[in-house]
Amino acid sequence: MMRRQPVSAYWVLSIIGLAVLTPMAGLLAVGRLPGFEPGDLQFWSSSYIRRVLLFSFWQAFLSTLISLTLALLVARSIAKRGDFPLRNLLLRLFGLPLVVPSIVAVMGIISVYGSAGWFPVGRSLYGLNGILIAHVFFNLPLAVRLLLPVWQAIPEHYDQLAEQLRFTAWQRWIHIEWPTLRENIPGVALLVFMLCLTSFAVVLTLGGGPRSSTLEVAIYQSLRFDFDPTQAVVLALLQLMLCLLIAVIGLSLQKLPEVEISISVNSQAGAASNRLYHNSVILVTAAFIGMPLLAMIFDALRGPVIDVLSDNKLWLAATYTLLIGFAAAFCSVLAGWLLLRTSSVLANHGKIRQAKWLELVGSVVYVVPPLILGTGYFVLLSQHVVIADWVFPIVILINSMMGLPFVIKVLSPVMRKNQMRYDNLCNSLALHGWNKWRRVDWPLLRKPLGLAAALVSALAMGDLGVIALFGSADTTTLPLMLYQQLGAYRIPQAAVTALFLLLLCLLVFWSLERGLGGRKDVTH
Amino acid sequence: MLHIEQLKFVYHSQSGLNTEMLFNLSAAPGEILSIIGPSGGGKSTLLNLIAGFLPAQSGIIRIDDKSVQNLGPAQRPLTMVFQQHNLFPHLDLFTNVALGINPSLKLTDDQQDEIHDALKKLSLDGLEKRKPGQLSGGQRQRVALARALVRRQKVLLLDEPFAALGPALRQELIEILKSLVEQKSMAALLVSHQPEDALLASKRTAFIHQGKVCAIDETSKLLNNTAEKAIREYLGSV
Repeated sequence: MMRRQPVSAYWVLSIIGLAVLTPMAGLLAVGRLPGFEPGDLQFWSSSYIRRVLLFSFWQAFLSTLISLTLALLVARSIAKRGDFPLRNLLLRLFGLPLVVPSIVAVMGIISVYGSAGWFPVGRSLYGLNGILIAHVFFNLPLAVRLLLPVWQAIPEHYDQLAEQLRFTAWQRWIHIEWPTLRENIPGVALLVFMLCLTSFAVVLTLGGGPRSSTLEVAIYQSLRFDFDPTQAVVLALLQLMLCLLIAVIGLSLQKLPEVEISISVNSQAGAASNRLYHNSVILVTAAFIGMPLLAMIFDALRGPVIDVLSDNKLWLAATYTLLIGFAAAFCSVLAGWLLLRTSSVLANHGKIRQAKWLELVGSVVYVVPPLILGTGYFVLLSQHVVIADWVFPIVILINSMMGLPFVIKVLSPVMRKNQMRYDNLCNSLALHGWNKWRRVDWPLLRKPLGLAAALVSALAMGDLGVIALFGSADTTTLPLMLYQQLGAYRIPQAAVTALFLLLLCLLVFWSLERGLGGRKDVTH
Repeated sequence: MLHIEQLKFVYHSQSGLNTEMLFNLSAAPGEILSIIGPSGGGKSTLLNLIAGFLPAQSGIIRIDDKSVQNLGPAQRPLTMVFQQHNLFPHLDLFTNVALGINPSLKLTDDQQDEIHDALKKLSLDGLEKRKPGQLSGGQRQRVALARALVRRQKVLLLDEPFAALGPALRQELIEILKSLVEQKSMAALLVSHQPEDALLASKRTAFIHQGKVCAIDETSKLLNNTAEKAIREYLGSV
């Protein structure tokens, strides 16, 4: 008998559907908002919206171009350099921007490239300069991690052949490297573009004013400062259309990037040519990524550590941050696991397309960004209830959905493999229910479950977007507190708060990854 | 003991083609019936149908005169040994075998003794605490056989269990298998890609091609059957 699909996945699908459609209903009911006029939807006639739209695209385009160009150079150098000392450390450093909250990294970037920093950039860091530096800081390592496996997949004998045929570096690039990379670049570029287009914390903190505002920041400003929900909804609908367009382009691409969560990458002994050049590229990149974090730590240690740590507000904010982190991790991992239980059964019965669609539903936040969901909820709820009463459920719900694509990415291959390898065996041994969970599923899954929970908690704890929309003086998380300190030019206090937040995130990440995931890796 | 009659399964391929498979065969207690044939012919499908991992459209599966086709995989009185991944990698050898007796691992003293006896029979004593990763390929398959032994089921299904092993190890394990099946009076179906395995293991062999049992005969006769085109082509290609 073929095993029935677990019904629970359809409950998760219903909850996700409800969680997305409810705020969408809030956005689409724009006509009911007080002060709405039909002309409001003609966004192209508003010079403000045109400017915001243009800047959103321009900064995303430039960020993508720079990140990708540099990533190609860096990934090539790492691949060509083969196995070198501290290689794993470097790749771990490249994984940090995934865990470090955006606003903490922004603190570090200000410390290094700000007017009073180690290497001041131009007249002011605030504006396009700062946004580009921050986006490259986050996306260069991501793009390197996406491109490195592609480079490493080039068979070693191609290199030997190139040596034999006396290829120049250019000929190697044209005949060997480019043909392999060509089909992967559009997918990576699209992902980075999407991330930069929907970037919120970076633009909010480094944008420096309305001249450098993106759609997401403009939505936030419309809701929280201009008290103009109609404009916020119009902007949100515009952002939604853009994201849908990008998602459609993404789905039509032959090759979408596989975001590698695991840190280790196979080492391949490369040619030792141009060692000095490759070393320099690697060193400069490591400095670019590492310096802001180091600068932030230095600044924090010179700051009023005792004063900040003795402030009760900090501890209250830390409690709320932890609550959001743990709750979002729990909900996201549970939802992901339930979805994947069904999709792995479907996949192993040859229903690959259905399985893929089920997993795609979990990645709905790529199409409907968290701030758009937040705007929908904000507009919908503010008409009926006191927003302050709903801060935590909404923030946890949206952060859980933000984490779901990561959970699916981490758990999916392991669950599919386990299902394929051991499901028939378990069935034949009458190993079901609780016995199967504790004897087979849990030991084999705890490592990826721990990693997934750690990633989601770090993301949720560092989130500034949704909490900025809903938070108040009584419901402040550490990222929001940090943003408020930066806004009030209390930079020394902000540096301490940033370090505190970073350490808290790393501690939670480590404890979930190790505590939940265990130390031992189960060999398959 | 094992009786398969008009067992029908329709395979729906992704390209939209439907292939109908129809099986008839039987195996007596203490017999190892080898099943050979080209890839994609339906050998593993037959075992999966008997084990209940695939739903048959119609037909009868009888074990000891009891119809089992409507039972779930766990309820069928049989044990299946796969080509690989028979053991859970995080559990030690003893626990892997013990799961065959009681999934909750609440074992009586007699059951524990039984496991130790089975391990001894298969020359695995002293290795109880080892994890599958610390065993050789041959030892891993012996553990799977030890579990089959303690499960005391009437039918043993073996889906290319020795495919990944070298010739000497295959021969050794086939000898062990033969003596176990005979001692416990089980009926075993051994799917193999190698005609030599069939020759070593079985008095009778079935040849499956395009979802049908084309021939069942004494193994040596079947392997010398040059009249049947499909067998001739298969043996020529091995």
